[in-house]
Amino acid sequence: MLLHTLEETVSQYLFVVLFAPLFAGILANLKARVESRKGPSILQPYYDIAKLIRKETVIPRASGNIFKYSPYLIFGIYSLIALIIPVLIPDPVFFTASADFLGGAILFSLAAFVKMLSAMDSGNSYSVMGVSRAMSFNFLSEGTLITVFFAVSLMTGTNSPYVTNHFLIANGISVVSLDHVFSTLAFAMLFLYETGKIPVESSGLMELGMIDEGLVYEYSGKLLAISKWSSYMKQCLLGSVLLNVFLVPWGLYSTGYAFLMDFPVMLAKWIFLITVVVIVETTLAKLRLFRIMDYLAVAFTFSILFLIFSEVTL
Amino acid sequence: MTLIQTGIYLIAALVTIVAFYIQGEEFIRSMVRAQVVQSVLIAAISFIIGIIEASVDFFILGVLIIILRGFLISYFLERRIPGKSSIKYEPNVNLAYYFLLDLVFIVISVFIIFYVVFSSFRVSGVLAGTEVLVFPLALFFQGLFLIASRKSTFTQIIGYVEEENGLVLFAIFLLPVPLIIEASVFLDVLALVVITSIVVVEKQTHEKMEELKG
Amino acid sequence: MNAAYLISLFIILVPGIASAFYYNNIGKASIASGAIVTALSLFQFFLRPSPGTFFIGNITWVFQVMVTSVYLLSAIYSTRYIRGHATGIGERTYFLLLNIFTASMLFSLEINNYGLMWVGIEATTISSALLLITEKSSTSLEAAWRYIIIVSAGVTFAFFSVVLIYYAFGSLDIYSIIHGGVTDALAARIAVSIALIGFGTKVGVFPVHTWLPDAHSEAPSPVSAMFSGVLLPVALYAMYRVYQIDPFPALYVWFGIVSIAAASIFLGYQRRYKRMFAYSTMENMNFALIGLSIGGLGIIGALLLLLSHSYGKAAAFFSSGNILRATGSREIENVTGLARSMPATGSSILLSSLAVTGTPPFGTFFGEFLILLAILALHMYSQLVIILVFLFLAFVSVNFNVSRMVFGKGGGYTETDRVMSTIALIASVIPLVIGIVFLVMVNEIL
Repeated sequence: MLLHTLEETVSQYLFVVLFAPLFAGILANLKARVESRKGPSILQPYYDIAKLIRKETVIPRASGNIFKYSPYLIFGIYSLIALIIPVLIPDPVFFTASADFLGGAILFSLAAFVKMLSAMDSGNSYSVMGVSRAMSFNFLSEGTLITVFFAVSLMTGTNSPYVTNHFLIANGISVVSLDHVFSTLAFAMLFLYETGKIPVESSGLMELGMIDEGLVYEYSGKLLAISKWSSYMKQCLLGSVLLNVFLVPWGLYSTGYAFLMDFPVMLAKWIFLITVVVIVETTLAKLRLFRIMDYLAVAFTFSILFLIFSEVTL
Repeated sequence: MTLIQTGIYLIAALVTIVAFYIQGEEFIRSMVRAQVVQSVLIAAISFIIGIIEASVDFFILGVLIIILRGFLISYFLERRIPGKSSIKYEPNVNLAYYFLLDLVFIVISVFIIFYVVFSSFRVSGVLAGTEVLVFPLALFFQGLFLIASRKSTFTQIIGYVEEENGLVLFAIFLLPVPLIIEASVFLDVLALVVITSIVVVEKQTHEKMEELKG
Repeated sequence: MNAAYLISLFIILVPGIASAFYYNNIGKASIASGAIVTALSLFQFFLRPSPGTFFIGNITWVFQVMVTSVYLLSAIYSTRYIRGHATGIGERTYFLLLNIFTASMLFSLEINNYGLMWVGIEATTISSALLLITEKSSTSLEAAWRYIIIVSAGVTFAFFSVVLIYYAFGSLDIYSIIHGGVTDALAARIAVSIALIGFGTKVGVFPVHTWLPDAHSEAPSPVSAMFSGVLLPVALYAMYRVYQIDPFPALYVWFGIVSIAAASIFLGYQRRYKRMFAYSTMENMNFALIGLSIGGLGIIGALLLLLSHSYGKAAAFFSSGNILRATGSREIENVTGLARSMPATGSSILLSSLAVTGTPPFGTFFGEFLILLAILALHMYSQLVIILVFLFLAFVSVNFNVSRMVFGKGGGYTETDRVMSTIALIASVIPLVIGIVFLVMVNEIL
């Protein structure tokens, strides 16, 4: 039994760490194809990371220790989250007990905080601008994240994403219940914001619109590689929560070696999510920077409103 | 909760979302049309309940809503939009600010009222045992907030119609008042919109005035 | 279908029939209809329909007489006042709307159904909204707009009461609900509480009174007279009919007291005479509200107060109209020496301001006195003291300003119209007559 859990733990961790860049690669490739470009290989994120690791690391003179070590810390935080939430295995694994859903949300916030701290420490004015932008939007996004998780836990009466997952599988009708539908919507909007997708942010280093990219402006070489990798992991984690707890909770097993089947299932789910994201990215225009607040306000409104409606209508 | 109850809940929630859309919208024509959508959604709820309870009253009510709210009011309002109607907008609409305020406002007012006052009213029929009354109350207060928060005449009229929609929804859920009264109420609102559209042509925004102080 | 029923029907229909003379002397037709309905409603005291479609109790009858007679006075006054000044809506449209406005008020009073009563109250808003822009200006448009949106948004709230009454009783029949027992105490209590804010918007209960001074100051004077004199009492009547289901004096009395206090404080710093009279109306209405809600002697007091106040306030606005036409200014400080240059208007405004502030021996004084007695009988001492303080404040503010306008040097205005000042004078004497008649009657009885 212990061995089985160990296997599951390891495979879940490896899934997050190893497959995260792949999803980013598929997304970039698919998007390019929709835009009638040939696009990079789906393995391009791996090449990027490999290339960056081999490059020289330049550390600004004005920066301090936080700047140097925070990428490792962030990577570590995301690694821990990977074991807390149901990314691959629908049942608890090792370390899952270390935090609940809300704890996961707070860990996400902690990672964002450390990231901003490191940007502040870099001594670059561009990075500081990125921090101020990120801060002015995050007050809404963090609130949304936490309220969405509240809404989920209200439905089942616990704060464990695993219970929610089982509950949704067992009660088909609650997938279309009011609180679930709208918390899903709010979380999907949040996912687009947190991973820097159109309509919030366009990928690529555009100084005028960048929010998240601005924070890693000063990093290079190995540190940049780790930062990028962390971002891929974040995307993978948030996307998996969106898929397994909100959108399509079905299809995951953990009895015996059936958990190996979870890899292709998750891959299929991710293809679905990537398709949705590509559709959103190619049909919508990027919002002006000061409109992002409105976007987040909408997400926040959804989450709060339906948190309360679900409380009343239970 | 049964499937039908869930469905009605979703439609009622959509009504609330349309109200939020109107609150954040700055183009007049889009607001007028969103009001049409809202009325049609309410009519849909009326039809659903009518089918389940096999009551003709709900059907007549739904048809009345669609004709009076859906067509006539939007017709009278859209006709009065000056200039090129598709580009007429109300400036200085701060969506994030309105949404958050609206949210706070709804949360405080609806839930104080709901928990203190309305919690003991039991809905009968298909929605028995649910607390569906919260949606009409939310809509009512959203209408009030729309009137209070915006300066354009059109928006305030729409806020009033929205408020009325909240009442109609309240009556549908709790206990429909006799049709003759419901119809007179609809005609009243229509007449009010027609009358106000005369004022609309002359005065489109409303600011503080020195002569009307104190 | 008996005679009494027909009379009630006629009272509502006659103002409507007068509108049929739209192309042909509608002004004179309106005066005629005013005279007819006043006579009919006076006569109706002896011949009232049994409660069915209509329900006309003693209280209803008083309100009905009030509406019809003030309508008559306003119609006569309007024929002169509006002539040549109707820039927003035409003169004929003005009379058309005035008639419909009156008809909808009478409908709200007579109908024996809470839902249709609500519809009637809402119809008064619709028909009177355009009357505010008779003399079109940016301010009058804004005032009309505030009137429409605040009052209709507020009165909409009262429809919750109607739904809840229907939920609790399964019917909306006023007579049987009032005379039956309360079945669902909670629904009735909530309906009564909501009516305070809902219909209260139209009555002028603080804090939902904000449309009141704007509409009164910008409307043409005869319309202001109708508003103050009868529209607000009609809304008060609707509120009272809901209140009767399950009386809840504590809430109503305190809201009334707060409103009186607010109105008196606002009265202290008014610079425009029509606004000042509007706040005085708010004060009087809330006094009557207190009287109606405590019952007993209070009801008689409230009716006496409302009846005398409606003529007194109509006279005040008629006089204001005369002053406005003669001086062209709405400000108190620009008007002085009326006693010498415009003796008729000077005396009517002085009389009416004394009347609306409850000076003995005007009818309003006895009304207020009876209400205060009823308050005392219920041992509401703190309430009594608060009311007395603010009554004194209101009395001083109004009469100080009016006496400054009436006496004092300067002036040199001329009366614009003999009929207008006569009507104002007649209306201002009626409260005095009511007071004296009441005094004589009380003496006879005692």
